[in-house]
Amino acid sequence: MNAKTRKRQLGIRRSIFIVVFLLPILICFSVFYLYPILMVVISSFAKWDYTNLNNMQMYPLNQLFDNYIYIFTKYPYFKEALKNSCIWSLCGLLIQVPIATGAALVISKKCRGWKLTRNIYVLPNIISSAAMGLIFLQIYNPKYGVVNQLIKLFNPSFQDNILVVPGWNMVALTCAYIFFAGTNMIMVLGQISAIPAEIREAALLDGAKGWTLDRCITLPLIKSTLKTISVLSVSAGFILYNEVFFLTNGAAGTKSISFIIRELAVVSPRAQYARANAVGTIQILGGLLLVLLINLIFRDRKEERR
Amino acid sequence: MKKKNENIESEAMAGVGTVGKIVCGIVMVFLCFISLFPVIWVAISSLKKDPLAEPGFTLPKEIYLEGYIGVFRDMNILQYFYNSFKVAGLSVILSIIMISMAAYVVARMEFKFKGIITGMLMATLFIPPTAMTFPVYNLINGLKINDSHAGLILIYTCSGIAVSFMVIRNYFATIPTELEEAAKIDGCTYTQTFMKIMLPIARPGILTAAMLAFMNYWNEYYWASMVLITKELKTVPAILAQFQTAFSTNYNGMFSAIVVILLPPMILFTCFSKYFIEALSGGAVKG
Repeated sequence: MNAKTRKRQLGIRRSIFIVVFLLPILICFSVFYLYPILMVVISSFAKWDYTNLNNMQMYPLNQLFDNYIYIFTKYPYFKEALKNSCIWSLCGLLIQVPIATGAALVISKKCRGWKLTRNIYVLPNIISSAAMGLIFLQIYNPKYGVVNQLIKLFNPSFQDNILVVPGWNMVALTCAYIFFAGTNMIMVLGQISAIPAEIREAALLDGAKGWTLDRCITLPLIKSTLKTISVLSVSAGFILYNEVFFLTNGAAGTKSISFIIRELAVVSPRAQYARANAVGTIQILGGLLLVLLINLIFRDRKEERR
Repeated sequence: MKKKNENIESEAMAGVGTVGKIVCGIVMVFLCFISLFPVIWVAISSLKKDPLAEPGFTLPKEIYLEGYIGVFRDMNILQYFYNSFKVAGLSVILSIIMISMAAYVVARMEFKFKGIITGMLMATLFIPPTAMTFPVYNLINGLKINDSHAGLILIYTCSGIAVSFMVIRNYFATIPTELEEAAKIDGCTYTQTFMKIMLPIARPGILTAAMLAFMNYWNEYYWASMVLITKELKTVPAILAQFQTAFSTNYNGMFSAIVVILLPPMILFTCFSKYFIEALSGGAVKG
């Protein structure tokens, strides 16, 4: 009897402990994620702009999707922003992930100077993307930058700022961040060095060497890390903001989804909160869709083959 | 010992022919070049008296340091470093304490809704924070902590839970359960076990998470530029947005200011690169 009550007391104490220790993070989650997400989704079906900041009005049922219809058909920048954000996600998967993986494979060969190369390659990721954006703004400057000097070698009459040339400015903007995959590279490198030596030795005995070994043994073994860095790169590309703000400020067809959300919600004097939140809802859904797609790409194909 | 090292190296290189070695070398040089080029170019340009007169990648004709003197004399740059340090530091302390507590409970105890809570916290990795721009901005305004460090600290503490949570939880999971059982037999309460036994053991994992979080907060621009309006309160990334206008024609001054902004993180990284790289490669970010 006595032991039973003691046990129950212990159980209650345990429950209290669990609740107390989880409470802070749950409050933070609610404040920063749960409440805002609900707010974003619900208000995307309401009329809410600078004229009625303090009393949001839900649309009647037959007008429920007005904000979505507006941003898809009337708002001039949404399609441009969606297209650009998708391009940057795709660049993350098709350019940044292969660069990070390739760099990690090369550095894992431990040629002379590999440690130095590894540390130097991480350096740009230590610098804030705001500072990198500012640096690239100088590099692209037509008057004293480097890029125009290079272009002039081929086209001596070129005087423009490359950041206002439609099309090319997207290339320039992408180049300002896409090659700096240092942190991703380190994650892959860590995973490569965690491969047990026995597997490597067995492969060597079987005659797999050098790049063949990388392709047939190393890459399949680090697949989970490749998935992680794909998720990180693709998500980062989808919500790109800093580079857009610093390099072009959205000029000449370079707006991103994050850029128009901020434009609609905060920057514009005629703020359109509900419409910003409709774009936000699409961004959340798009982000989840991208994560699902990556999971699909990286799913195990072994069972299918059987 | 040395021979063993050579063995390992030759094993890693096995089957990579001369061509392969040359390719490796070229790739490595290229990686170093693209990483260092922007920084070196800015540093060289900051020494030019008038970057307009000597554009592109040329060495300065004479070394001109007036820009650097100006940065410290006129810009009050140390104030922004202090702001960044204060905001990032306090946010790291608050968020790491909170996340360690939750990570410990999730890693070591069984309870209802554990799956849901873990899933929720991990989902923060995929939820784009920019989508929540307006509700968060509105909330900060509603609490009357807009344009203050408190507002920014609140945002930082609540955002970016996922990575720290994963790192610390994974570390707790590696600690043997015998330790907790021994503590229980010795009569420790749950809180005592956590404070006196688990936290000290998990210190490496917690420090890793703290370092990664500090770097993220230090570099964060999106919220910092939105919440902080008063110039004196701005953090380093937020003040960068004003450089282009503040230094409208004083290009030498602007390049110098960029270099000064870059120096502290670069020096810190050079000193602590070993820990930083271990933090990232030690399986820290695994699902």
